[in-house]
Amino acid sequence: KEILRKDSTVRNYSPAAYKFFMEQHVENLLKNHAQRITRKMQLEKEMAKVKLSEDAQLQMRRMLQQKESNYIRMKRSKMKKDMFEKI
Amino acid sequence: MSFLFGKNASKTFKPKKNIPEGSHGYELMQHAAVTLGSGNLRLAVALPEGEDLNEWVAVNTVDFFNQINMLYGTITEFCTEDTCAVMSAGPKYEYHWADGQTVKKPIKCSAPKYIDYLMSWVQDQLDDENLFPSKIGVPFPRNFLSSAKTILKRLFRVYAHIYHQHFKEVMQLSEEAHLNTSFKHFIYFVQEFNLIERRELAPLQELIDKLTSKER
Ligand SMILES: [Zn+2]
Repeated sequence: KEILRKDSTVRNYSPAAYKFFMEQHVENLLKNHAQRITRKMQLEKEMAKVKLSEDAQLQMRRMLQQKESNYIRMKRSKMKKDMFEKI
Repeated sequence: MSFLFGKNASKTFKPKKNIPEGSHGYELMQHAAVTLGSGNLRLAVALPEGEDLNEWVAVNTVDFFNQINMLYGTITEFCTEDTCAVMSAGPKYEYHWADGQTVKKPIKCSAPKYIDYLMSWVQDQLDDENLFPSKIGVPFPRNFLSSAKTILKRLFRVYAHIYHQHFKEVMQLSEEAHLNTSFKHFIYFVQEFNLIERRELAPLQELIDKLTSKER
């Protein structure tokens, strides 16, 4: 039974492009990690400054988490699209 | 849904007996330490505070698929019906393809064919809106994590094949640091959330030990 597709998912890729991608990627990975922590700390600092109530703080934290979560979901869809454009 | 839980795993994964461990790639082990950057990838794989585990696994799974797809794309000319008539990871491990959906009975095929089946299958999973919802607010299905485990288990086999059968070419292309970094990130991630069973990782256990021994 022939199940191999006409247009395969596997394509040729230039080693230079792969290497460039990986170098950028690792950099971004570490940067994103650090920035997410910074955003969280910033929020805590701001909230402490204006002396928000416990309830309001919880709400704010939840809002930031939701924003972060939505952001990685959008990134995931974008990563899939980029892949198609590149190959 | 049994296909998602890897019921066929024992049939598609064929460890061969009587071949001593460590009989491969001195070269490979020697170059295992070469990686990119100096940041701590181990910390970067951890679940961010308050993040949904499914969301985190999903974005990383797509990421690894892209990395592996590109990596394999750089060596396709070396991975042919002639050079790789069977999908293997060293002399001890051979893989037969079955996805449990269109192919239920594992088929023995060449590595390029196997990897083509595998990557196309993964692509289909990632494109499935029910499994990997892309719209904000749409929840993941209950079986998401077990499906992701199957995807990652299969993606690992592409790394295993490349390390065992094509590391020479990877070095010729000066990609070893990139491959090692990609694989290290992958291993940190699957270890963090226990996503691949230890026996599945056996073909690269020695390398995994070496890559993860020096925490950087
Ligand atoms: Zn091959």
